[in-house]
Amino acid sequence: MKSFCPSEVIVEGGSEASPIYRNLKRALPGVPFVHVADIGEAFSTSDDPFGEHKQRLVLARHKGDFLKKCPGSDGQVCCNYFVINFASNCPMECSYCYLQEYLADNPALKVFSNVDDLVAETHALLSRHRGFFFRIGTGEITDSLALDPYIGFSREVVPFFAEQPNVLLELKTKSDKVEGLLGLDPKGRVVVSWSMNPQRVIDADEHLTASLEERLAAARRCQEAGYKLAFHFDPMIEYPGWEGDYRAMVERIFSVVDHRRVAWLSMGVLRETPGLKRIMRRRFSSTRLLSGEQVLCPDGKMRYFQPLRVAMYRKMLGWIREASPTVFVYLCMESREVWEQVFGFAPSCEKELGARIAAVTRY
Amino acid sequence: MRDGLSFRDVLDGAGLSRISSDPRLGRSDRLKRMKEELRRLRFPRLARLEEEIQRRVQEMKFGPLIQISFPPGLEGGGLSVRMKAASHAELEKSVRELAESLEKKAMKEIFELLSGREI
Repeated sequence: MKSFCPSEVIVEGGSEASPIYRNLKRALPGVPFVHVADIGEAFSTSDDPFGEHKQRLVLARHKGDFLKKCPGSDGQVCCNYFVINFASNCPMECSYCYLQEYLADNPALKVFSNVDDLVAETHALLSRHRGFFFRIGTGEITDSLALDPYIGFSREVVPFFAEQPNVLLELKTKSDKVEGLLGLDPKGRVVVSWSMNPQRVIDADEHLTASLEERLAAARRCQEAGYKLAFHFDPMIEYPGWEGDYRAMVERIFSVVDHRRVAWLSMGVLRETPGLKRIMRRRFSSTRLLSGEQVLCPDGKMRYFQPLRVAMYRKMLGWIREASPTVFVYLCMESREVWEQVFGFAPSCEKELGARIAAVTRY
Repeated sequence: MRDGLSFRDVLDGAGLSRISSDPRLGRSDRLKRMKEELRRLRFPRLARLEEEIQRRVQEMKFGPLIQISFPPGLEGGGLSVRMKAASHAELEKSVRELAESLEKKAMKEIFELLSGREI
């Protein structure tokens, strides 16, 4: 995977004392640091502001709450997940990335400097609800690890999470940037997870990400360092020959990692709003993703029509079960009907699914 | 792009050419049929599945008081059954007709098709 090298780092006043600032200075010695009082609005004259903003990194204090409940999708079975937004946007370029629409008005690639506030806010929440087991992820509006060699975020927070009795932190990535994790002791409280797709999909639509083999090598290193692992087959893409590619990928994963260290797997098919579809056409005009047989679902997202995606999930589940009969598998952003057709049951509520996922990783 | 065809290839294809040159069709029917044909080209498996389900519904030959429909794009995985009755006797007849359909192969196949088992 290619290293990230921004054209400049813009530092908002008040961020210079942060460990993230120190880490950036150390990791990017040749990159100019521009100090400004206020970062203001992201401004661009480019005809692709979203792409342009990935070239420079902004370091600023986050003024709102860091922790949020994952918004899920209207009417779909949700898994009671919480998210921490320590950064916004991502240096990688997946053609289907929903951030292209979600962050269209605020596309700056931004890292938040006040990690102490993030830790304090999380500690307050975890302490207030010791009877509840939280699953918290950092990969909702950024990649959890792609910037880690430069900002050293995991080094700042993993020791804190490792000491908490009622939380599991999930670091979700398409990168292989795991060096910062290897010397830390997660004490069973950190899951490192990868979004996985066959190399053919990575080559076509997951630009600037790690290759399948690089992701697997990184997963293996994390497993050896004591981390639990997870894999997200999301978004699954349907194309001629997809069955052979996905089956081979599942077999390859379980030939590299120990299935007993895999906390969970998830599946979800490609989905996009009509707005994102327009952006994808403009930014990735040669992508073939939009030529699939997708229909508009009640939550406003396009997905492969239901019998097709149910068939995809069933096949995938069969290959997973051949490799690992007991690993926990769930669906991401799918309806109760689809759950019923794939697994023969649907969780009664989000708390039930969240509790099931938490149960497989607690000890 | 998916099928390696240009717009011209699509427009010159047998299905659309047949519709556009059919003298029996009026303008609005021609447009409707062309849209359906284009949808079939764009969503070949979905259209085929919908036709398969529709064929089985017709095979069961329900009377006019029972309507079977399925959602656009087959989203939701279910059928809708609508019955109309102006009397107790009509309702009884429709319920019996529907109950008998449960044993028919076509009805079972519809649910197989809706659940993706035939893909």
